[in-house]
Amino acid sequence: MAVTYPTPGGGAARGPSRRGIARIRPWLLLAPALIILGVLLLWPLVRMAMFSLQDYGLREIVSGSTNWIGFANFTEILTSRDLWAVVLPNTVGFAVLSVTGTVVFGTLVALLLQSLGPRTRGFVTGAIMAAWAMPAVTGTYVWVWIFDADHGVFNQVLTSLGIIDQPVNWFTDRWSFYAIVLLNVIHHGFPFVAVTVLAGLLGVPREIHEAAEVDGAGAFRRFFQITFPQLRQVFAVVIILSTIWDFKVFAQVYLMPGGAGSNRDVLNLGVWSYVESFGQNRYGFGSAIAVLLTLLLLVITAVYVRTILREEKNL
Amino acid sequence: MRRTSTGVKATKAVLVVLLLAFTLFPTYWMLVSAFDDRAGQGGATLVPREFTFHNFSYVLTDGGFGTFLRNSVVVALATVVISGVVALLASVAVARFRFRFRTQMLMLILVVQMVPLEALVIPLFVQIRDLQLLGTLTGLVIVYVSLALPFGIWMLRGFVAAVPVELEEAAYLDGASWTRMFRSVLLPLVAPGLVATSIFSFITAWNEFIFAMTLLGGEADKYTVAIGLKSFFQQNSNDWGAIMAGSTIITVPVMVFFILVQKRLSAGLVAGAVKG
Amino acid sequence: MRRTKFYPIAAAATVLTLTLAACSGSGDDDSGKGKTLDVWIMKGTNPDSEPFFADVAKAFKEETGATLKVEYVEWADAHDRFVTAIAGGTTPDVAETGTTWTPEFADAGALAPIDDYVKKDNLGDDLVKGLVEAGTYDDKLYGMPWYAGVRSLVYRSDLFDKLGLKAPTTWAELQADAQAIKKADPKMLGVAVPGDAEFTVYPWVWGAGGQVATQSGGQWTSGLDSAEARKGISFWTGLATQDKLSSAGATTWKETDVLDAFANGDVGMAVMGSWTPAAITEKNPEMKGKFAAVPIPGETGGIAPSVLGGSHLSMFNTAKDKDLAWDFIKLMTTGKFAQEWADDSGYFPGQTSLLDKAVKSTDSLVAPFAKQFVDGGASVPVSPNFGAVQAKKTTSVMMQSILSGKSSVDDATTAAAQEMTSLLNGK
Repeated sequence: MAVTYPTPGGGAARGPSRRGIARIRPWLLLAPALIILGVLLLWPLVRMAMFSLQDYGLREIVSGSTNWIGFANFTEILTSRDLWAVVLPNTVGFAVLSVTGTVVFGTLVALLLQSLGPRTRGFVTGAIMAAWAMPAVTGTYVWVWIFDADHGVFNQVLTSLGIIDQPVNWFTDRWSFYAIVLLNVIHHGFPFVAVTVLAGLLGVPREIHEAAEVDGAGAFRRFFQITFPQLRQVFAVVIILSTIWDFKVFAQVYLMPGGAGSNRDVLNLGVWSYVESFGQNRYGFGSAIAVLLTLLLLVITAVYVRTILREEKNL
Repeated sequence: MRRTSTGVKATKAVLVVLLLAFTLFPTYWMLVSAFDDRAGQGGATLVPREFTFHNFSYVLTDGGFGTFLRNSVVVALATVVISGVVALLASVAVARFRFRFRTQMLMLILVVQMVPLEALVIPLFVQIRDLQLLGTLTGLVIVYVSLALPFGIWMLRGFVAAVPVELEEAAYLDGASWTRMFRSVLLPLVAPGLVATSIFSFITAWNEFIFAMTLLGGEADKYTVAIGLKSFFQQNSNDWGAIMAGSTIITVPVMVFFILVQKRLSAGLVAGAVKG
Repeated sequence: MRRTKFYPIAAAATVLTLTLAACSGSGDDDSGKGKTLDVWIMKGTNPDSEPFFADVAKAFKEETGATLKVEYVEWADAHDRFVTAIAGGTTPDVAETGTTWTPEFADAGALAPIDDYVKKDNLGDDLVKGLVEAGTYDDKLYGMPWYAGVRSLVYRSDLFDKLGLKAPTTWAELQADAQAIKKADPKMLGVAVPGDAEFTVYPWVWGAGGQVATQSGGQWTSGLDSAEARKGISFWTGLATQDKLSSAGATTWKETDVLDAFANGDVGMAVMGSWTPAAITEKNPEMKGKFAAVPIPGETGGIAPSVLGGSHLSMFNTAKDKDLAWDFIKLMTTGKFAQEWADDSGYFPGQTSLLDKAVKSTDSLVAPFAKQFVDGGASVPVSPNFGAVQAKKTTSVMMQSILSGKSSVDDATTAAAQEMTSLLNGK
């Protein structure tokens, strides 16, 4: 191949053949990714929409036939008491709480880390990495074990302190159930926030801080007036990613006692879709729930993306 | 910081201890239970009452964790390699070339990341079925590659963009072809980014749960660690010592890996996230 | 398409077998030579299943010339595995299917009917009726009765002796016994009332004269909200909510948790299966000889019916050689091997002629179950949609909401009955 200048400015390459190669090269480079994303993400998305308009069961999967029923699945979902009273609040409310919790706690930890000496910081960072590394499945089982009604350490401690006299089953109540999920999700999610924000913080020139300190600005004001604006982008990324992750909480709920459908009060959109489709072979109904979840996330994402685009014109 | 009084120092020390306690307690509790022969009866204590390796030997032999580990390693490595190569190529395209629909491509990659996995379970189940790959590790790898790709492209793009164009041009002036330049200039410079994305795809593949559950559907000898543990839990729901031993076996490799590369990882994340 | 292609061959094979059978008077032939039969069997039912199937494979080879390939599947994974295999068209030739799954898989078009084979071999009259009912869908038999078990009341005979208690024969006695155990050792559960184990609930519904669901004119109606059913459920859950004889943890227990807790010595009485005694002593050898069983008492005496749970052997439509598949099914479910399997596993065989032996047993861990099986065996509603009721965990949801104090028995049973009715009617 001859010399080709992949001119970043978008300028024309010299000579017709070179121009041809230069023009298709980005597409050649992109091709594998596009094929994979197309076959495994985009086309399935389209199919999900198609299933959601059908009464699609095991029989249809086996035979490959279609069974259109219009918007009946959506009507059933939207008129279901479960959706409005249980599933949606569990999904959205939980996402709001966990994103807030993760970001706030992660930022506080980052600030604490920033103020430490390099050696302690390295050690503590290593420790919180351990929390991050724990897979969601094992993490969930550890929390289940800690809060286990019969032999869990939490009940044992409360009993020995005399706070409760009978073991309490923390998994049956909606609030305590989700409190445990929240603990699990924050524990697993804050390290990412802390590490990312810390890296951003360390990039903020110390002089700016010191100048403000000399001016007599308190720590709180310094954070919101200097640090936060500097790290706007970091926070944008951190919040977007946390939102995406926390909306999709599945294993953390599904694997808890009662989380796989036997306790209706704790269903969220993801688990609901799963138990309806794979438990009941109602893949169409499950797809319709999934469509709703996707739309919900797309709306949120669109808002975020617009914010980022506005701030970063050279995307 | 120069003016820290002992009071501030003490507060900080307390905060650090609390933070460490919160962060490490679950890991600690997992380990303690895993080594306690009596964890299943009457709960664990702060130190194992009867120290034992029995839980570990039990899960590795009868519990089938040997197989699960092997499957997971195969799946994770395949995912890392394939998604790394594909993501690198794509990231060069979006970071180095100006072409029609480039912005749209970027948007597409960004939006695709937002799609909830749970939403894709049903259509992907049918899709993998159509490809006749249900119950195979290959089917799982294909799905994981597609899950790891968008984030990989997004992150690597920052690294590629950070490589000065002058270096590339110098290579061309020396008479290198594009492929040559790619190999000897771009690749070494984005290597840290590749490490970061690899870790991400590794962890995606290692930890993933819902697709492994649906696509492998009961084929126990193909189980990866995540659903292997779930299946083990279902059969031994009160044998907490063994369950925690299984959890430990799954967690420790990732944890060690994670701590070893943490500097690289955080640098990579920030570079990808912020410079993006 | 596939079916049309194979049909003539299958038909020809049938003729051939019939001719041979007519000549030799048995299924003895070599038509299976060089062929392999893929079979899925559930793991854990029989602790010695590998040597057992080695014998079966030998006998099968002698009889048909075909090789038997057995794959063991965990119960916990099995339903997923079947669904995935059905969706992907990778089902085995023959598989053990849980009795409540058979209609579901038949409805999905995955199973082949076996009526003709049963008729041909004159086996129809000797099959256990409850299992035939459970395996029948759309008037065709899809599951060959293989074995079944039943749940009864298992109790700690050592404690009963120590405290001078008698095995309960009425609800009041059961309650008093549980209270006595709890009083003697407050850390123990007098009786375990699990929240995620539907088969431990229905006996109380039936025992009070209620119905889980009935069909009339093609329309199902759940009876969980009838006065009788409510009385039974109130009694059973009241043991936990009012008398505090169970535990808070039990609200989310499954049957496996009950088994663990019982083996651990934490439970005085529990509704458990005829297959569990072996598992209890295996988990904790110290329990040997310390427990016994008794049929579940009705409110004022008699036996409260309990679900016959068990397995069919089902033939899948993907079976390459259906006659060969049937030869295997017949070998397994009749005669020597059926008896041996039942003896090894602690289940009852699916043939009435074989069952009689178990009924005459004097073992304190066999006889009460056998009595329950014969005199107090019942079936869950036979509908392909009952699988959906199970998957939706209708009964567990009801139990958990009562046990955790979130709803009253009346509210919970009303909601459960509504849901069950609509699910059974397919909407």
